[in-house]
Formats: sequence, structure tokens, C-alpha cells
Amino acid sequence: MDTTQLLKGVLDLAVLAVLRAEDGYGYDILRRLREAGLEEVGDASVYGTLRRLFAAGLLTTYVVPSESGPHRKYYSLNAAGRDQLARSGKLWRSFATTMDALLDERGAAA
Amino acid sequence: MTVTEQEIAEYVGRVRAALADLPPALREELTEDLPEHLTEVAAEGEGSLVDRLGTPEAYAAELRDAAGAPDLKRRKLDQRVAGMVSSILGRLRALDRRLGPPLGYATGSDFLRLLRPGWWVLRAYLAAMLVTVVTTGGSLGLLPRFGGELLAGVVMLIGFLFGSIWLGRRSERLRRWPRLALHASSVVLVVFGLAGLADGERRAGYGGYDPIAVVNPYDQVRDVFVYDSEGRLVENARLFDQNGNPIRLGYPDCRDEFDPSGGSPQGNPLLRPYPYCPEQAPFAPRAPVGPSTAPALPPLSSPTATTSPSPSSTPAASRTPEPTATADPGATASATPTPSTTR
Repeated sequence: MDTTQLLKGVLDLAVLAVLRAEDGYGYDILRRLREAGLEEVGDASVYGTLRRLFAAGLLTTYVVPSESGPHRKYYSLNAAGRDQLARSGKLWRSFATTMDALLDERGAAA
Repeated sequence: MTVTEQEIAEYVGRVRAALADLPPALREELTEDLPEHLTEVAAEGEGSLVDRLGTPEAYAAELRDAAGAPDLKRRKLDQRVAGMVSSILGRLRALDRRLGPPLGYATGSDFLRLLRPGWWVLRAYLAAMLVTVVTTGGSLGLLPRFGGELLAGVVMLIGFLFGSIWLGRRSERLRRWPRLALHASSVVLVVFGLAGLADGERRAGYGGYDPIAVVNPYDQVRDVFVYDSEGRLVENARLFDQNGNPIRLGYPDCRDEFDPSGGSPQGNPLLRPYPYCPEQAPFAPRAPVGPSTAPALPPLSSPTATTSPSPSSTPAASRTPEPTATADPGATASATPTPSTTR
């Protein structure tokens, strides 16, 4: 199984989770996801996910001028985004528990 | 920074091109701040954009995937139709906005909205005319009639006018079905009006006459020659129609040369008897050679088909070998017999 296949389903959740603690701009969010262990995530995937979540009304944006480099567009969770994160997080936990149990029973997990 | 703005612009351009099949609004939403994003990316590290992000096409595919944008080739038919309808509506709105300023309004529909009361009046008239056609059976003037009565028709027209205006001012508040019925009847009235217009145009054209060019077959006639049953030319013949009116054909264009007096007692050259010019007769009056050859003129065949039995032909005569070679050729040519045919 390929990590990118798994990522497709949970990238929304991952991005929302990364933004819960702190607002971030596109490349920053990508870096945080990679530091957290999702090394195979691509820039376009993160950027596209951010655009979609923004279009769905789960994120708000603001621009922060930078002295050293280009202006940066920051994304932050709004109330709807937090709601979505809570619901998706719960769903993921139950799903992950089910999968864990499934794998434990069969003794497949190393 | 190792990545130039031009490289970013180029990269963005290729990503947009790869997403060209998306609806413009969606593509714009996906890529509107892509240049800024790529500038951020470029500021974070080393290497060209292609080294770090892959080709623009691959980036576009990943973006399409991540943003949940549908691949147009995989979309279902109804979605495609809906997309087409919305794009047509969008284009119409753009056209509406563009048509406005030349007309002096914000949009073209603002102008058309001003014409709506005019349409209400027109549709009342069309409805009255439709009733006219139904009640009087097709005979259509310009004013409405009810069962052939003009006064009743005018009263009906006034009633329709008030009804139509009342309906027009209320049509915004109508519910779905009454509104649909109103639109359907409008279409019927428009079709009826166009048919009436086409009918009136057809009846008004050319005052009822068919535009056929009339060519008088007797325009070419200059003279009339009457032959009797024996093939003899009848002189001083007169032609009359069934009412006793003389039939005048042709004109005497030869008599003045030969006979200035005209030989006509009335003096009016057009009242002379036929033929005006007997010497121009197409068939020569022949001297009686024999009773068997007397009917020289086959009256039912065309003049070109008639061949004269006279054996003389001038070329043959001039070509006869002259052993003495003293005779003048002009003399032999002038010694032709009387010409049997002039045409």
C-alpha cells in the first residue's frame, strides 16, 4: 500500500489538525506536515487542499507582509473549520481503532 | 533567491494551461494566488521550481486531485449539460453587460425592461386579432372584429389592453404554473403575430399581380403576308378580330421609298392593307409552270425548310468553265435568275 493513497482520504484532516495549534502559510503548512512524518505529501496537494477548504468556508486568510521575502498568505481555522476538525477527528479515531483492532486480531501488526 | 519571477510566471502559465478544461471560475479559484504561493516556496529553498515541485503538468494534476476538481473527461453527462447551461448563461450575462453601454444603459436587459409595457400593449392587440381570426374565420384586416362586428372588436381590444397591463404588472408575483402558462401563451401570440405579418406582407406585395415578364410574340412582326390556298400572295388584305376591330401589326417601312403616295386613301400608313411591302414577300409568287408544281408554298412548314426547286445558283454559274476566258465574271454573276427566296 502506498502512503499517497492513504493521504488522499485524510489530507483535509491533517491540514486542519496542523492549523489547530497555529496559523500558517502554504509552504509552512507543508513543512509542518513533513516534519510530522507525512514526508510524501506534495506541495500541490497541500496548496489544492488549502484552496478547497478555503472555498468550503472552513478557513480564513490574511496576508502578512514580510521584510525579508514575499508577502505571505496565512490560513487560519474559523469556527466552521474547528467543527469540521472535531467531527473528522472523531471519525478518524473510530476508523483507526477499528483498523487497529482488525490488524491486532489477525496478528498482522508487527 | 534562485528562482526568478519569470520562471514562476512561466510555471503558473503551464499549470493553468493544464487546467484549461476546468470551468474558468473554478480554475481561477484554484490558481489565483498560485504565483504568490510559488514565490513563498521559492523563497524557502534552493533549486528550480521544476526540481522541487515536478513538472507544471504533474503539479496541475496533483492540484486537480487535491482540490477535488472533477476531471472533465470523467464527468457524467448531466453534470456536463449543467456546466454547459451555466456557461451559456454566463456568456449571455456578459453579452448583456456589453450591450448595455451602446444603448445608454447599464445592461441590455435594463433597456429591454423599459420596453415591457410596449409588449403588454402589443400582446393585447395580438390576442384581439387572434380572437378575430377565430370568430370571423380567417379574414384578417388591421382592426379586431368580434364575429365580424368592428365595435365589439374594439371593445374587446380595450378590455384586453387593460387585462394585459394588469397581468404584466402582476407577472413577477405569479407562481410557477400560472407564469409558465403566461409564457406559453406569449409564445403562441408571437408565432401568430409573425404568421400574420408574413401573410400581410405576401398579400401586399406587387398589388396582387404575379411578376411575370410578358413578351409579345408579335413584337418582331414587321409585315403580314396572306396567301390563299393556292399559295398565291393576297394583296390588299385586311385583318380583323372577333369584334371587327382591325388588327394592326408591323409598320410600313418600305412604301415611302418605292411609292411616296403610299397607295393608301386614308393617308394613315397604319391603316393600309397588308402586305405593306409585297416585294418583300417571303414566298415568291411563281409563274405557273405546271399544275403539279403549282402549290409551291407548303403552308404548314417554316420558311427555312422550304427549298426552292429553281436550279439556278450563282456560284455554280460563275464556276462554269469558260474555255474562251474572255467573259467578265461580273457579267455572269449579274446574270442570275430571279431569286426564288429572299430569306
